[in-house]
Amino acid sequence: MAFPRDPKVLFVVSPSMGIPIYQQLVDQIKRMVASGQLAGGAPLPSVREVAVTLAINPMTVSKAYSLLETQGVLSRRRGMGMVVSQDATGTQAIRDRLALLRPTLERAAEEAAQLHIDHGAAIALFEKVLKGKR
Amino acid sequence: MIANVLEMRGVSKSFDHRLVLDQLDFTIKRGKIIGLLGRNGAGKSTMLDCALGLARIGGGEISLLGENPAALSEATRGRVGYVPQQTELFPWMTASQMLAYFKAFYEKWNDAKVAALLDRWAIPREIKIQKMSAGEKQRLAIIRALAHEPDFLILDEPASSLDPAGRRDFLREVIDVVIDRDVTILFSTHILSDLERVAMDVSILSAGKILLTAELDSLAGETFVATGSEQALTSLAKYGVEPFRREPGQLVARIPKAIQASVQTEDHELVLDSLSLEDFFIEVTK
Repeated sequence: MAFPRDPKVLFVVSPSMGIPIYQQLVDQIKRMVASGQLAGGAPLPSVREVAVTLAINPMTVSKAYSLLETQGVLSRRRGMGMVVSQDATGTQAIRDRLALLRPTLERAAEEAAQLHIDHGAAIALFEKVLKGKR
Repeated sequence: MIANVLEMRGVSKSFDHRLVLDQLDFTIKRGKIIGLLGRNGAGKSTMLDCALGLARIGGGEISLLGENPAALSEATRGRVGYVPQQTELFPWMTASQMLAYFKAFYEKWNDAKVAALLDRWAIPREIKIQKMSAGEKQRLAIIRALAHEPDFLILDEPASSLDPAGRRDFLREVIDVVIDRDVTILFSTHILSDLERVAMDVSILSAGKILLTAELDSLAGETFVATGSEQALTSLAKYGVEPFRREPGQLVARIPKAIQASVQTEDHELVLDSLSLEDFFIEVTK
């Protein structure tokens, strides 16, 4: 029996990272939705496809999909399996994108405190970095 | 339908007066995939041999699919698949001969699956098994164990002779079996990444006992080494935290997420450092 090597199966998991595999999938799909890599209405690969391709337990994939469904990122469509929710993009996307940025900023804030950098200087630096990037 | 596929209660086993299993308790529910983790020599193979009725036990009770494994009926034997760690199966036979021989013992035998796996894993059919590589022998043992479509699979370090690509392919096959049928799997391993991919639960065997059985996902973020004064460490007990290892000034324990915040705010003398599953395993089996 041939196993699917579907290019749509874009997910990557790395065990031994201390992050449960379902959480890795959840984070990855959220990032892909937030960045528009997965657009509203886009179908997701089936649980079976993901499980077999990545050699992970199908329950883990189901768990990730169900969590994303309760969070409104994915919706179940009859006959199609999981698709990206239409309202996961648009206004909600900015909130999602900010939430994804937050952990990085929290780390930066912690380091700023350790280095005794005051808020104004830290924010000015962040602005500079932002402008430099665009 | 039996809820517990395997139940071991107070099982002891000694070799030459050396206690290998020490009143061990273990249960696996139907449909679970449990990874059995233990150091080399911890007694994983002995535990699995006892569960299968291949080794006599010194004490305790075992129920395998509702029967005593030492006196297993033919019907129940047909529902169990086993891949031993050392695959010394009939070295003078060819793969075709060996599989034909085993087929005779089972009511069910999936010829199409056997042929497909032999092809996919490029196992030579007409070469004597003794001439095969360790990896080929192990793959052949896996094919033999899957051929009769067992309800309960026991795998003893099933992928230890396989390279990473071979292991991945083997895990895919296990996943495929799980998706198609309601199968329960108990596999021993020391390769944590394989375990994290496939297992939902982990059991750690150490010093002849099951030290811990837990859902892998819930264990993540709850394994810690706590450092602090003796008083601070002792105070953890009031939260129900039981250390797996205790040393002067330090202990290793599972600290549930629900109590982490209160443990830390209440006691500033206590420092919690998170452990990865691998580090936790190494620490608790020291």
